[in-house]
Amino acid sequence: MLNILKKIMKNILLITKREYLTQVKKKSFIVLTVLAPVLMIAFGAFIAVMLKANETQYTVQVLDKSGLFADKIQSDSKLKYVSVTPDKEQQHLKNLKDSETVDALLIIAPLQAENFEAMEKGSQLIINNKIGLDTRQRIVNDLSDIVRTARIKAMNIDESRIAELDADFKLKSSDIHDTKKIDSDLDFGVKYGLGMILMYATFMFIIIYGVRVMRSVLEEKNNRVVEIIISSVKPFDLMMGKIFGVTLVALTQFMVWITMALAGALVLNTGFSTMKDTLPAGSETMVEELDIRQMAGEISHILLEMNVPLVIFVFLFFFLFGYIFYSSMYAAIGSAVDNETETQQFTLFAIIPLMVGMYGSITIINNPDGPLGFWLSVIPFTSPVAMVARIPFGVPGWQIFLSMVLLILSSLLMVFIAAKIYRVGILMYGNKATLKELWKWIRN
Amino acid sequence: MLRAENITKTYNAGKKTALQDFSIHVPEGSIYGLLGPNGAGKTTFIRIINQITQPDAGTVLIRGEQLKNAHIRDIGYMPEERGLYKNMTVGDQILYFGELKGMSKNDALHEAKYWFEQLNIDQWWKKKLSELSKGMAQKIQFVVTVLHRPKLLILDEPFSGFDPVNANLIKDQILNLKKNGTTIILSTHRMESVEELCDAVALINNSRKVLDGKVFDVREQFKKNIFSITLADADPEKLENFLQMNGVQQHHSDNNLSTFEITRHDDQNALISQLVQIGKIRSFQEKIPSMNEVFINAVGNTGAL
Repeated sequence: MLNILKKIMKNILLITKREYLTQVKKKSFIVLTVLAPVLMIAFGAFIAVMLKANETQYTVQVLDKSGLFADKIQSDSKLKYVSVTPDKEQQHLKNLKDSETVDALLIIAPLQAENFEAMEKGSQLIINNKIGLDTRQRIVNDLSDIVRTARIKAMNIDESRIAELDADFKLKSSDIHDTKKIDSDLDFGVKYGLGMILMYATFMFIIIYGVRVMRSVLEEKNNRVVEIIISSVKPFDLMMGKIFGVTLVALTQFMVWITMALAGALVLNTGFSTMKDTLPAGSETMVEELDIRQMAGEISHILLEMNVPLVIFVFLFFFLFGYIFYSSMYAAIGSAVDNETETQQFTLFAIIPLMVGMYGSITIINNPDGPLGFWLSVIPFTSPVAMVARIPFGVPGWQIFLSMVLLILSSLLMVFIAAKIYRVGILMYGNKATLKELWKWIRN
Repeated sequence: MLRAENITKTYNAGKKTALQDFSIHVPEGSIYGLLGPNGAGKTTFIRIINQITQPDAGTVLIRGEQLKNAHIRDIGYMPEERGLYKNMTVGDQILYFGELKGMSKNDALHEAKYWFEQLNIDQWWKKKLSELSKGMAQKIQFVVTVLHRPKLLILDEPFSGFDPVNANLIKDQILNLKKNGTTIILSTHRMESVEELCDAVALINNSRKVLDGKVFDVREQFKKNIFSITLADADPEKLENFLQMNGVQQHHSDNNLSTFEITRHDDQNALISQLVQIGKIRSFQEKIPSMNEVFINAVGNTGAL
């Protein structure tokens, strides 16, 4: 008994080794592993540049008859106010019509006896080129601010007292279980972001590597090598070896990427700690003015404050078993068909539950501990993505445990079912199996 | 060496029968031909020996032992549909398959060296399979099959894909293996190689065994008592009478030689003494059917091809 087990393990190991080495030695693998993060960053930068490139500075002439705005209104990179002399209105209108550089003319009516309503009614914005809705809103805001200040002055109220009235209620929140935990918007954002990244990564990996298992099965089936192998080892050994081999490939790739990411986070985190030391006490408001580098430092700080080993463990666990669960499904699909175009009908079974898990997770993220979140992260079809999405926010231990047990059991069941299909499927040439046939193979 | 008893195998819940009550005995150290048209059930039988599929009924014994997992190491199998990994080097591939059969790496390496010298392919070790021609790949396939020194070698259409030179090379190796005590099952429908190599055959058609036995006996069994005769200086009148009496339609005369075929079921010596009276016997030969004729005949008799 022990000997047989030993032999099976040896066979699986041999197949795993071959699968791993052939895939890792491929040039495409090496290039992808090194290049993917670089490409991701480049892609992000490209989008940022594109957004930036779409920004233009609008020029608005201000014909201020009230004298209230001309020297108070502020230009910036998006909007440039140019004061013009208030007397020649018709001339300016005519110029505006012919001008290619001036986008609009803002005419402010005179202010008489502090009648702001009358001034507002008499004022108008004459548009030459099209200006965006947000630019118009921006002008309205600028004008409102100045009028507000002027009104306060007219009412003889101290401006600082108004500021007191306007002050937001600054609500500090903290966690009763973990007093050190800071619960800020940034904190939420970072965790949300991390959850999404881990979830997408799991989703993509399960699909990409699941399909890789399927291809590998198909390849062996098509070049008929499979018959030679299963005259030496059991089909089950071959399937498991294949799945483990591709798992190792995925983990290798992942380890490289995690190492790269952690190294990046550590470098930025050092920046954060030195910055914090130089800040004077009680200057929290300055945090808002931190530049991107400091922000990145803070983000990595939040990341490292989390239970990093648990997050990594949960991620790797669900990634691994989710992958085994789905890739055995993919292996069965690969064995049941003759070529890749025939796989589509069946791969839906493997993709749709994952999609449900993923889009479900996006909606549960606002209430990660709610019932939907619970069920999605416990049911094995969706738990690999949903649990990973929730884990940065912290998940009760019993839920993690329950989900893990369920996932292990259902992975074993899926492997068992897949092995039954695989055993028959790999020797079937020339016809695509129907669902009915698959069911028959499973029952046999 | 191998004894199969009453093997039955069906597919599709009994709707399609691949083998029906199939029994053969392959003697130790022989080359055994498994003949039959495509779809007759040869591959199913081979897969059963290789434990790729299980029979519905019947048993396979190897040296008197019920077929079991450990026998896998004693069997070498080259399927008709050859298969190797295209993007793996020849060396890696050979070691991999050797290890799958339970060899140690060193053993596999040692054995591979021997075969590479035998087949003049030692310069291919580091090449990828995709760089080799079909015939070259076939040689590698052969090495993969025999690397672990199997006691029972199963070759499915071993000569397809080889040019005549290499086919001969492989043929010699097969005979060599036989000399060293390997039992070989050869599945083919190329009859000339059967006559040349096989000691015994079984003919399968429509999932049943049609006949089996030693090649000589099988051919004997199918002979139709046709004799091919050439007479010199035959007396034309006597010859004409003789041909008429025996119902011979065609005969060929050239100069003083007359050639004809005759079917006679009585004693050959009686026939000869009759012929002596007609003319001088230049040649007298009983026509024994070739395996090809046996094959076509037997398959034709059972009604399908």
